[in-house]
Amino acid sequence: MKTRLIILTSFLIILVAGLTGCKKWLDLKPQDGIIKEEFWKTKEQVQASVIGIYSSMMESSSGSYGSTTYVPSLSEQLFIWGECRADDIAAATATSADDIALINVNIQPTNVNTNWRPFYRTINFCNTVIEKAPEVLVTDNTFTQAQLDNYLSEALTIRALMYFYLVRTFGDVPMKLDATLSDEKITPIPKSSKDSVLMQIVADLKLAETKAVKTYGDVASDKGRVTVYTINTILADVYLWMDKYNECITECNKVINSGKFGLIRGASVNPPIYDYNDSWFNTLYFNGNSNEGIFELQYSLQRLNPFYSIFSSSVSSRRWVAAADLMDRVFSVDYTNDKNYDIRGDGASVRAATQTIWKYMGATATSLRTADQSYAHWFFYRYADVLLMKAEALNETGNGQGAIDIINTIRTRANALASTALTPAATDKYLIQEYILMEREREFCFEGKRWFDVLRNAKRNNYERLSLLLNMVAQSAPSNMQQSAQAKMKDKNSHYLPIYIYELQTNKLLVQNPFYK
Amino acid sequence: MKRKLFIIAGIISIYLASVVTPGCKKINIVETTTTDVNIVGYLDKHLDSFSLFRQILERTGTAAFLNAYGAYTCFAPTNSGVTTYLKNIGASSVDAADINVLKDMVRLHLLGDTLYTSSFTDGKMPVITMYGQYLVTSVVNKAGISSYQINRQATVLNSNVKVGNGIIHVIDNVMTPATKTISQQLEANSNYSIFVQAMKETGYFDKLNVVNSDTSKRWITVLAENNQALADSGFTSYAALKAKYCKTGNPALANDSLNMYVAYHISQGLKFLGDIISTPTHETWLPQEVISVKLIDQDVVINQDEFNGVLEIGVKLDRTKSDNAATNGVWHDARAHFMVKYRKPTALYWDVSSFDEIKKLPAYYKKANYDFKRATEADNPIKDQYWGWGPLASTNTLSYVYSSASSITNYAYNNDVNMLPMGLPNRPIWWELRTPPIVKGKYKVWVCYRAQKQSSSSNMLCQVEVNGTLMQRTMNFTENRPSGTDAELEAIGWKRYTENTTNVFAARQVGVIEFTTTKQQIVRITPLNGTQNNNNLDMIHFIPIDQDQVLPRFRPDGTLIYQ
Repeated sequence: MKTRLIILTSFLIILVAGLTGCKKWLDLKPQDGIIKEEFWKTKEQVQASVIGIYSSMMESSSGSYGSTTYVPSLSEQLFIWGECRADDIAAATATSADDIALINVNIQPTNVNTNWRPFYRTINFCNTVIEKAPEVLVTDNTFTQAQLDNYLSEALTIRALMYFYLVRTFGDVPMKLDATLSDEKITPIPKSSKDSVLMQIVADLKLAETKAVKTYGDVASDKGRVTVYTINTILADVYLWMDKYNECITECNKVINSGKFGLIRGASVNPPIYDYNDSWFNTLYFNGNSNEGIFELQYSLQRLNPFYSIFSSSVSSRRWVAAADLMDRVFSVDYTNDKNYDIRGDGASVRAATQTIWKYMGATATSLRTADQSYAHWFFYRYADVLLMKAEALNETGNGQGAIDIINTIRTRANALASTALTPAATDKYLIQEYILMEREREFCFEGKRWFDVLRNAKRNNYERLSLLLNMVAQSAPSNMQQSAQAKMKDKNSHYLPIYIYELQTNKLLVQNPFYK
Repeated sequence: MKRKLFIIAGIISIYLASVVTPGCKKINIVETTTTDVNIVGYLDKHLDSFSLFRQILERTGTAAFLNAYGAYTCFAPTNSGVTTYLKNIGASSVDAADINVLKDMVRLHLLGDTLYTSSFTDGKMPVITMYGQYLVTSVVNKAGISSYQINRQATVLNSNVKVGNGIIHVIDNVMTPATKTISQQLEANSNYSIFVQAMKETGYFDKLNVVNSDTSKRWITVLAENNQALADSGFTSYAALKAKYCKTGNPALANDSLNMYVAYHISQGLKFLGDIISTPTHETWLPQEVISVKLIDQDVVINQDEFNGVLEIGVKLDRTKSDNAATNGVWHDARAHFMVKYRKPTALYWDVSSFDEIKKLPAYYKKANYDFKRATEADNPIKDQYWGWGPLASTNTLSYVYSSASSITNYAYNNDVNMLPMGLPNRPIWWELRTPPIVKGKYKVWVCYRAQKQSSSSNMLCQVEVNGTLMQRTMNFTENRPSGTDAELEAIGWKRYTENTTNVFAARQVGVIEFTTTKQQIVRITPLNGTQNNNNLDMIHFIPIDQDQVLPRFRPDGTLIYQ
C-alpha cells in the first residue's frame, strides 16, 4: 500500500514536471516574439509585412538633432533633399550648420542631411517581402498567386521609388536587391552606376505594373498603397528623368485616361466675379486622400509627421522658413485688388507674415495646426504632377501647344496671377521649359520637388540648360558666397550629395562621390 | 658541500626562472592616446607628393613647430608645384634657394587657426597668414571640374585633411605674396593712367604707396576708374578731369573737389568683393561720405539708392578685373565714373506703418488689423522694426492697426498706426526703427502718435534716441496735444500733424539731431515710466531745421495739405 502510494506520487511528480518546465528549459526561441522560421507561414503575415513597408516610411527620427548619432525620418529627408538646395526656403532660428551648408553649397560628407539610412531601411523591408512572401504559397493553401502578385507589386514599387530618390540625390548608389535577414548577411557592396540603377527601377516598375491592383476598394488604401496608377505615375517621372519622353507620355496617359483622378476645384475667376473654393486647402492638404492624390504618406493621429517641430512658427526649434521673397517672386501679389490672388500662395503654401511653410502647418488659411494635429500627409504624387509631367514631355517632343494648354489648365484652377504669365510661342521650347518649371514651383511648393525639377531640366541634353541651376543658386546662396556657389554648380558632380561618412566607414567598398574628395 | 650544492641549485633555479617564466618579458605598453599624425607627420607619410615642401620646411626651420601641438591650417603644395616655383625664382634646388624668400613663402602658406573649406567665401579668409597678407578664396571650374582656388594662384587638390595639430589643404602650386603696393600696381597698368595722374596730383599716390607697419591701419581698398570709364563720362584726359573738378587750383587741398573725388574712391580696410557686399555701406576717406553697395542679381553695384521715391542708378564693379591684392590692400575696377553727390537736406515724413512686410499682405494692408508676433526672442518678423524682448512672451506682438471707422485710426495718416506694448516689468523694453535713407544735415525730429490710455491710470513716458544720441525732450504716448495756435504749440515743441483738429493726434518735437552721414538712421524709443499696450505710433518726421516744421499736414486718405 505504502509502496503504491510512493509510486503514484512519483508518477504524478514526473507528469507535472514533464508538462511544464522541462521543454522550455531546453528551448532557445524567444518567448515574447516570433522567429523567421515560424513567421512566413500565413497570408496574414505577408500582409502585415507589406503594411510594415509603408509604416517604415513613417518611422520617426532617432537620436537628438545635432548629434552625430541622429538618424532623420524619411519624410524629413524627402523635404530636405528636394527643397533645401533650392530657392524656396531660408534658414530659421534653429537651423544647424549642416542645414546652412546646404543653402551655401558647402556640403561635406559629415553633413547629417546626407544620411540615407531611412531609405535603405525601407528597401530592406521590401527585399524581405520579395524574398520570403513566395514561400508562403506552400504553407498557406488559402494564399493565392494573385494575392502574392499584388503584395509583390507593392514591395517592388516602393523599392523602386526609394532607389529613384537615391539615384537622383546621390548619383551612383549601392544596389541591394536581396534581403538582409541576419547580421551574417551584412556584406559590403560597391556602388552601381546611375544607369544600371535606373534600369533596375524601370524593370521593377514594369514587373510591378503587371501584378498590381487597380483599387483596394476604399479611398484611404487607394491613396496610401500602391495601385497600378501609382506605378504609372512613378514610371512617368522616371522616364522624364531618363529623357524618354514618349514613354513618359504613354504612362501619363494611362493615369489621365483612367478617369479616376481630377483637380480639386480651386478658383473660378471671371472678373468681377472672384469665386474661390473655401474647402480647397482643407480637402487637398489638411485632410489629404482627395480625388487629386495619387500616392501619399498617410500620417495620422497615431503617427504624426516630423514637421511640427521643424516648421511651426510657434516653436523655437524651427529649422526652415519660406524664402522672404517667395510671395513676390513666385506667386506675386496684386496690390490693387485683394480679391485677386493665387490660391496656392498666401495661406496655402506659405504664410507670408511669419514666413511659415504652411502646407504642413496650416489648419486653415490663417490658423496653425496644433502639435497633435501635425498629421499632414507627405504628397509623393498628385494628379497635377501627372499633367505637368506630360506637359514637359510634350514640349520636349515638339508639341509646345499641348504643353501650354496643360499649363493653362493648372493656372486657371488656382487663379495664377497675370503677372506670372509668360506667353511663349508654341515653338519656343526653352521658354516653355521655364514656364513649366515656374508653374511647378507654384504648384508643388515645399512638396520636395523643386531641386529635382531644376536639376532635371538643367541636365537635359548634356547640361544644355545648366544656367537654370546657376540662376537658382545665385538667388539662394548668401551674397558673399554667391560666386563660389555658382562655380561649384558648374561641376556636375556637385549636383549629387556626398555619401555620409558613417556609410563610408562601415562599407569599405564605397567610394566617395568625386566632387567631395 | 651540501651547502654549496644548495647555493648552486638556487642560482640555477633563479637563472632558469628568469629565462623560462614569461612574466619577465617586456610588455609593450601603448603610451600614445592616438595614432593621428601631425602636419609634418602627414607630409612624411606622403613623401612621394610632398618631399620638396618637406625639405623646405626643414630648411626654414618650420618643421619642428609644425610637428608640435597647435591649431594650424597649412596649404601644402605638391612636388610639381614646388618645382615650378623653384624654377620661377631661379633656384636649381631647395638648398640653392634664398632662405628668406623660402621663409616668406612658407609663412604665406600657414594660418594660425583651423579653417575648413566651409568658411571659404568669395572674399578673403577670416584669418591672416603668418606672412601678414590675407589669402583670397574662390571657386573655379576647369573642364567641368570645380575646385577651390586660393589667392587665384593655386588650386586645392585635396581639402580638409584633418591631422593632429590642424588641417591640411593640398594645393597644386606655390603661392607667392603680393610685392607691389596699390599705387605701384595701378601705375603699372596703363588703363588707369588718368586715375593714377589724379592720385599723384592730389597726394594720394604716396599715401597708397606705403605699407603701414600697424596692421590695423595698413589695409586700404580702392575703387579705381579705368580710362574707358572716364572717357565714357567725357574725360578723355587728366586735363579734362582736372578742369571739371579742380576749382581751387591746388588738387592737394582737402577742400578741392578733385581731391574729394579721389578720396571718395578710397576706403579703409581690406575689402574684397565678397567682403564689400556683406555690408550695405562703406565709409570713404572723404569724411562722412559713404558708398552704398547692393548685389543685384550677380552684379556688385555701388550707390544705387532711392531718394524721395527717385531711383538713382548706380555703378557696377567689374568682377573679372576686381579683387586685385596688393601689399597694402586691394583695388577694384569701377565700370563707370562716379562722384560723391551733394544733396540738400530734405524732409522725411515717415509713415512707420507702411513697412514692406505688411505691404506683402494685400488682404490686410490698408484693410484690416494684423499682428506680427515674435514667438521667440530670436524671431524678427519685421526687417526694419525690432524691440527688446518683453519678459512676458505674449506681449511681443507688434500690431498693424487699420480702420477708417475706429476712433483710434480714423484721422491717422492712411488710417493706420503701429501699436506695440511697452514698459517694464512685463512688456518690451525698447522699440527700434530703421528709417529710409536720410540726407545728412541738421533735422528736428517729431514723433507723431495717437494718444491713448489703456486704463485711466496708464502712463507711458519715453525717451527717444536717434543713432544712439539721446534727444533733448521726452515724449509720452498717453499725453494729448495741448491747445493753442500753431505758433504757440511749435514754441513749446508740439504740432498738429493731422488734418483733423482732435487733440489725441499729437506730434511731439523730441529734439534736434545732426546726421553726419547720408544713410538709414536708427530711432529707438525707450520707456522711462509706466507700462501699457496702446502705444500707437503713426509717423516720425525728420524736418531740416530751416524748413517749415508745421506743414504739411496729413490726411487719412494719404494726401498732404500744404497750407
